[in-house]
Amino acid sequence: MGRGSEMVGDEIVLRVENIHKRYKDQEVLKGVTFEVRRGETKVIAGPSGAGKSTLLRCINLLTKPDKGRVWLEGVELTDPETNINKMRQKIGFVFQEFNLFHHLTALENVMIGLTKVKKLPKDVARKKAEEALLTVHITEDLWHKYPAQLSGGQKQRVAIARALAMDPVIILYDEPTSALDPQLVGEVLRVMEELARKGVTGLVVTHEIGFALEVADEILFMYGGRILERGPPREVVFSPKHEVTRKFFENITKLYGGK
Amino acid sequence: MDPVWWEYIPYILQGAIWTFTLVGGGLALGFAIGVPVAMGQKYGPTWLKAVLDAYVWFFRGTPLVVLLFLFYWGVFPVLLGIKLDALTTSIIVLGLRSGAYQSQIFRGALNSVDEGQMLAARALGMTKWQAITNIILPQALRIAIPGWTNEYAIILKDSAICFTLGVIEILTRTRYVVISTGEALGPFLFAGILYIIFTYGGTKVFNIIYEKYHIPGLVGKGV
Repeated sequence: MGRGSEMVGDEIVLRVENIHKRYKDQEVLKGVTFEVRRGETKVIAGPSGAGKSTLLRCINLLTKPDKGRVWLEGVELTDPETNINKMRQKIGFVFQEFNLFHHLTALENVMIGLTKVKKLPKDVARKKAEEALLTVHITEDLWHKYPAQLSGGQKQRVAIARALAMDPVIILYDEPTSALDPQLVGEVLRVMEELARKGVTGLVVTHEIGFALEVADEILFMYGGRILERGPPREVVFSPKHEVTRKFFENITKLYGGK
Repeated sequence: MDPVWWEYIPYILQGAIWTFTLVGGGLALGFAIGVPVAMGQKYGPTWLKAVLDAYVWFFRGTPLVVLLFLFYWGVFPVLLGIKLDALTTSIIVLGLRSGAYQSQIFRGALNSVDEGQMLAARALGMTKWQAITNIILPQALRIAIPGWTNEYAIILKDSAICFTLGVIEILTRTRYVVISTGEALGPFLFAGILYIIFTYGGTKVFNIIYEKYHIPGLVGKGV
């Protein structure tokens, strides 16, 4: 059972309905539907090519879905009338490859969304950015370092702070630890877990079964562009309904040494 | 007795003012043209790309001396009906030509900024324009400095061709000295060395600028 579950209310903050996406002759998403409640942490798992990353990008419309609709706090993002730039401010996005802005220091990376997008005064933005960095355990000695001077784990935590500082309704994590050296994975997962426990709503694409079992309220198992099955983490991981699900988690447990 | 050529050295050196007016004006105009052209080529609609490609091809594919004659005697007086002096015409032509070359430097620099930067900027809620001006361009300009240094060296040497319009820059003055003293070796060698010094010195200045704005981990180190 997910440890964040006591924070979960009934209010649905994200609704994804019947999302389809096709690249040329390959149908990547074949109708995906689910919802996320406030305070919830949901993990999306599944083999590569299942459409997990595409699904995340269809949510904040970095990729335009061919069909289907997405709502955030009742506002339809897929409605062409919606100002998507305004709505994206409310959706944190953490990339596998970090994508910190190379020419800005750690602190400036977190501040720029606040000053340029939210138009906050510099001193207010700075304070908020510092708070966010401390939340992800990036201490003051690292604030003025450039991304290239940080370790992978530090980079990803700065990236999480950058998302967090915007006060997002939800943070989408796209395989946040896949590009990290094994010894750096833990520090990032710990930060994500802490945020989940504080009630920050999260949707996490990950292969980290330990994280899913400890933190997630639900696992969505994707296969071939669909959600093949979903449910409480222990159920999906240890007694799945489908053979592919069982095989997947069996392999991944061997690979990642899940708890 | 005829004067010896080195008595004219101060006269030749004064030509440096004109040379640097040509270089500075040409580089600045080229920059003002090159950056938006590069942005248009990368982010603009297809029709705009075609227009900009044509501009780049025209100015990169035509000898500078042809461009100078074309604009001085053709485009400005005949086509546009305006009379421009040799210096102004030269700066505009050097600028238009340098703009074509600089656009390719900046386009390369824009392309070398990885896709993830744009994605991350858009994910924060930036518009495409905000992402370009706040994230992509500041990185691209830094990456472009080494290539841009090269452009300075090229335009410095190309500025000599403006003697054909009679701009009294270094080479024009050197030729006057050669004609009036009858000595060729000394004056032309002196002019050549002057260009070498300016090329070397300017390149050093740009390297200092590069180091000053260099950011660890940002590619583009070269020259």
